[in-house]
Amino acid sequence: MAVYHPPVRDIQFVRNELLDFPALYQTFPGCEGFDRDTLNAVLDELARFCAEELVPLYRIGDTEGCTWSADGVKTPTGFREAYARFVEGGWPALSAPEAIGGQGLPESMGILMNELIGGANWAWAMYPGLSHGAKHTLQAHGTPEQQQVYLTKLVSGQWSGTMCLTEAHCGSDLGLLKTRAEPQADGTYKITGTKIFISAGEHDLTDNIVHIVLARLPDAPSGTKGISLFIVPKFLPDAAGEKAARNALSCGSLEHKMGIHGNATCVMNFDGATGWLVGEPNHGLNCMFTFMNSARIGTAIQGIAHAERGFQGALPYAKDRLAMRSLSGKKNPDGVADPIIVHPDVRRLLLTAKAFAEGGRMLVHYLARELDIVQHGTDAAAREAADERLALLTPIAKAFITETGFEAANCGMQVFGGHGYIAENGMEQNVRDSRISTLYEGTTGIQALDLIGRKVLLNGGVNLNLFLDEIDAFCQENAAQNEFTAPLAELSQEWRKLTGELGEKAVANMDEAGAAAVDYLMYAGYITQAWLWARVAVLAASKGDADGGFYQAKIHTARFFFQRILPRTKAHLGSLRAGSAGLMAMPQELFIF
Amino acid sequence: MNYAAPLAHMRYLLNDVFEANKHWAEMPAFSSIDSSTVDAILDEGAKLCSEVIAPLNRSGDEEGAQINNGKVTTPKGFPAAYRTLAEGGWVGLNGNTTFGGQGLPKMLTVLFEEMLYSANNSFTLYVALTSGAALAINAHASEDLKNQYLPKMYSGEWTGAMCMTEAHAGSDLGIMKTRAEPQADGTYKISGTKIFITGGDHDLTENIIHLVLARLPDAPTGPKGISLFLVPKILVNADGSLGARNAVAASALEHKMGIKGSSTCVMNFDGAIGYMVGKQHQGLAAMFTMMNYERLSIGIQGIGCGEMSYQNAVHYAKDRLQGRAAHGAINPQGVADPIIHHADIRRMLLTQRAWNEASRAFAVYVGLQLDLANHHPDHDITVKAAQRVALLTPVAKAFFTDKGFDACVLGQQVLGGHGYIRDNGQEQLVRDARIAQIYEGTNGIQAQDLLKRKVLINDGRWMRDFILEMEQDTMNASPVFATEEDAVLKACSTLRELTLWLVKQDKRDADLCNSSACDYLHIVGHTIYAWLWLKMIAANPVDTDKHVLGRFYFGRLLPQIHALDAAVRSGPDLVMDLPVDKF
Repeated sequence: MAVYHPPVRDIQFVRNELLDFPALYQTFPGCEGFDRDTLNAVLDELARFCAEELVPLYRIGDTEGCTWSADGVKTPTGFREAYARFVEGGWPALSAPEAIGGQGLPESMGILMNELIGGANWAWAMYPGLSHGAKHTLQAHGTPEQQQVYLTKLVSGQWSGTMCLTEAHCGSDLGLLKTRAEPQADGTYKITGTKIFISAGEHDLTDNIVHIVLARLPDAPSGTKGISLFIVPKFLPDAAGEKAARNALSCGSLEHKMGIHGNATCVMNFDGATGWLVGEPNHGLNCMFTFMNSARIGTAIQGIAHAERGFQGALPYAKDRLAMRSLSGKKNPDGVADPIIVHPDVRRLLLTAKAFAEGGRMLVHYLARELDIVQHGTDAAAREAADERLALLTPIAKAFITETGFEAANCGMQVFGGHGYIAENGMEQNVRDSRISTLYEGTTGIQALDLIGRKVLLNGGVNLNLFLDEIDAFCQENAAQNEFTAPLAELSQEWRKLTGELGEKAVANMDEAGAAAVDYLMYAGYITQAWLWARVAVLAASKGDADGGFYQAKIHTARFFFQRILPRTKAHLGSLRAGSAGLMAMPQELFIF
Repeated sequence: MNYAAPLAHMRYLLNDVFEANKHWAEMPAFSSIDSSTVDAILDEGAKLCSEVIAPLNRSGDEEGAQINNGKVTTPKGFPAAYRTLAEGGWVGLNGNTTFGGQGLPKMLTVLFEEMLYSANNSFTLYVALTSGAALAINAHASEDLKNQYLPKMYSGEWTGAMCMTEAHAGSDLGIMKTRAEPQADGTYKISGTKIFITGGDHDLTENIIHLVLARLPDAPTGPKGISLFLVPKILVNADGSLGARNAVAASALEHKMGIKGSSTCVMNFDGAIGYMVGKQHQGLAAMFTMMNYERLSIGIQGIGCGEMSYQNAVHYAKDRLQGRAAHGAINPQGVADPIIHHADIRRMLLTQRAWNEASRAFAVYVGLQLDLANHHPDHDITVKAAQRVALLTPVAKAFFTDKGFDACVLGQQVLGGHGYIRDNGQEQLVRDARIAQIYEGTNGIQAQDLLKRKVLINDGRWMRDFILEMEQDTMNASPVFATEEDAVLKACSTLRELTLWLVKQDKRDADLCNSSACDYLHIVGHTIYAWLWLKMIAANPVDTDKHVLGRFYFGRLLPQIHALDAAVRSGPDLVMDLPVDKF
């Protein structure tokens, strides 16, 4: 069974040293007391919870999965107890405002928590994670009464939430959805329709489940501008706000999936269920956009989780497993063979997983920082800049980190050879679990269209140029570390130029943006990672051998990333410049031959 | 999830791209093959795969192979389908005609193998392991053993299994422990435990013929002390009838990510009676003669998976309505356009297709080289072909399976969330394809074999010969394809220069080879695919969709070579410098 330890030291490095969250928190009203020691204490406590409660449920969640019956859905053995302790510990409320029963910490602390619980057990972590959308919807758009009844219980974790978007015929294109909402005389609505792929739609962890359902009013315009949001609880609240009568909704079945078996992926049937409108009618999608970035960061975290597991699982195996001799002479002359970590190709796999885990972590926490500034910053200009940076980099983070998370999970499995394919070793589960992350919360293709269309070309590259200006300035300030900053500065220039070229082509032919999108996103992802690794290299260079060589390892990994991974930009660049002609020329009928 | 064999492309490769008939005419063993035989084999093979074997794929995955009280059962329908396959004579397609095999060219049978894998990976492994074991017996066993075992294996009455891996010895077989004690009657008693034995036990046939690697009492340590033994599940009497049960049994099945319908067994040999195959202490060498066939076959698993995933994805992409095409509605009457009109969906489909078709072409080329090496009357040609086989087999195995896996992941991605759902079949292909990068020598081991044993060992001479062949062939192509020709020649020179650089640098740093091997193998693969895409374009100047696909390959996929080249040239220090305790 593959080991997993919450990566406390690296999180401390990213949060306290690279991005200096403690200093940032001092500038937020109400967060001044939250210093480095407090942050470390929370981190340690969370890590302990994860190691004791969640890591042990990792395999059983996969082998047992969820079971459906007409009475409801049963989660795997131990999930319910772990959730109860999670609630007892007050963890769900960590980053919610105090006014609604939260602990008042910035959202970046919630992101930190999600990284820890997600790495420990992603299928379990999705249950509290799915409340995110419901909480944010109600927080931003709910009436005071709705907040009073639902939000406080969601914040405490007593109830959980879902987002019911997808229907069988519409996923990426939500404008096609058909679920209906009929207004009733008492101001409520009757919701009717079937939703699929509803994570945590039904389970036995909480007393009540609060669904936020996307549906159409009778007079709604067609397409995305005719969608409204409704609160549809599993149990209707009574006058005191406690759960009372069962609502007319049920889980029809569970999907049989490739992975994340411990999480219930439900078909949800709404049969004239009672619901309440949230926000303005027909503005449902706009309401959801308010928390789209944080939701996507929430999925980007999954990439780190699986990269970290891939790396951590493979490392002890690579040190223990004896096979063949090192090419540069025996390293373990008393044994029958050398540990496979002496073989360069095994190291290549390990370092790739390591670089993606640590690089993904840096980008996620960087965005968490921007998110905090947007929500708590006292300077309007800084808030706006952070919001724009967040808009630009979130699709990159979601798609790039999950794609590379899957690659890293595969690297970890490959280190195990045939033993990686065996369920009991946990490495193949990590690959299966990770595979969903490039599909849900907007596929990689959808993220890439968002990036190239809405975030780059639509505003003439203004946001991107500001980001590249910052990279250029960093490179100039750190010209002494030219091993990293020189290639980074070149790439920054190339990225700018490439974007200009694409903009011109896209004006002439709309298909150019779509044809370039995923290559462009991955290209952008590697350069964004290079910027973060260069920052690490600069920081680590000043630390010498401190902390048992921790910083030296950072420099080695940065160097590996720059010279062995970063050249992938050349492949994406070549492919991007080939344009759309080869993609669109083949008639649809010929695809079958 | 209906499977339709890509017969048009298969025929195009045999007839137009490689002109199989010309080659067969030169080899007495194949000179009687005519195009109607070839057509019949492809058509009937396709029908068998679509109608009999593919329908058992999903149920086989859900049901899995089972073990109860030491008895292994395969999923429902497998035994009957295996009988149908056997009765049709499909198991012995490549087999030696002296012992009842059909003796067909590998160049042709690689195509049938691909169909089998597309239809059902788990099922096909029982067939593939039988072919592999028969090959080793045919090459190294005594005439008595051949007479006794080969006809029943070719006929499909018995299957074969290869017993190599032990719990502590996989990539490094030299450290294996299974013992073989010589007996007075010339047989051996085999004792030990083998793991990961595909088809080690099952209910498809009444007997299973194990080829087991083991050590004699006086054997030297390491790989030079390993001998090969034939160990039947049920002992065979002199008259060919079945006798007593041998002391070999499956004690457990592995729980795996995929290929669940294939029984992956822990096999216990408790003084089982065995017969030596080949010479003592030369078991590994004997295994290596069949290794090239087996590796090619497992490579083809990657193509089969990629093709099936492509077919599912295209079907979905034409049906699924979502969003509008960038340049205006294509399906104005519908609520949305089929997603095949979105450029990014096409990128994924064409990437799958470009890999699949180039891989298929390469499989046919390597199959041809195996045929030439074994059957051509001209000694110089056999020597050259044998070199090509040795050089290119690791590339085929690793590149087919890496690109096949990538293709399956893309095919799953086309279905969005529906790709993650078991009923839709795409996730099974990802799980089934994943093993092919690992077994039969991990792709890391293949890459090391290529660079160390096939390239550096002769200072790159074999590789340079092969590059020259690609270049000459390219320069003979029609001038109409100047851009593509130029791209192939550029890729060839990138590969040549990198090979020379590696030969030179290798002497300075022992770790360079292994740190470069995987990326180097991919550069070789890309260069070959560029060459083959040009061949496929040039073989029919009016076949315009081949041109579209070829241009897609050159424009969108070949550029990966630049990233790989830079990674190799960064040298070994980047992977070696980090001390073990700092990982």
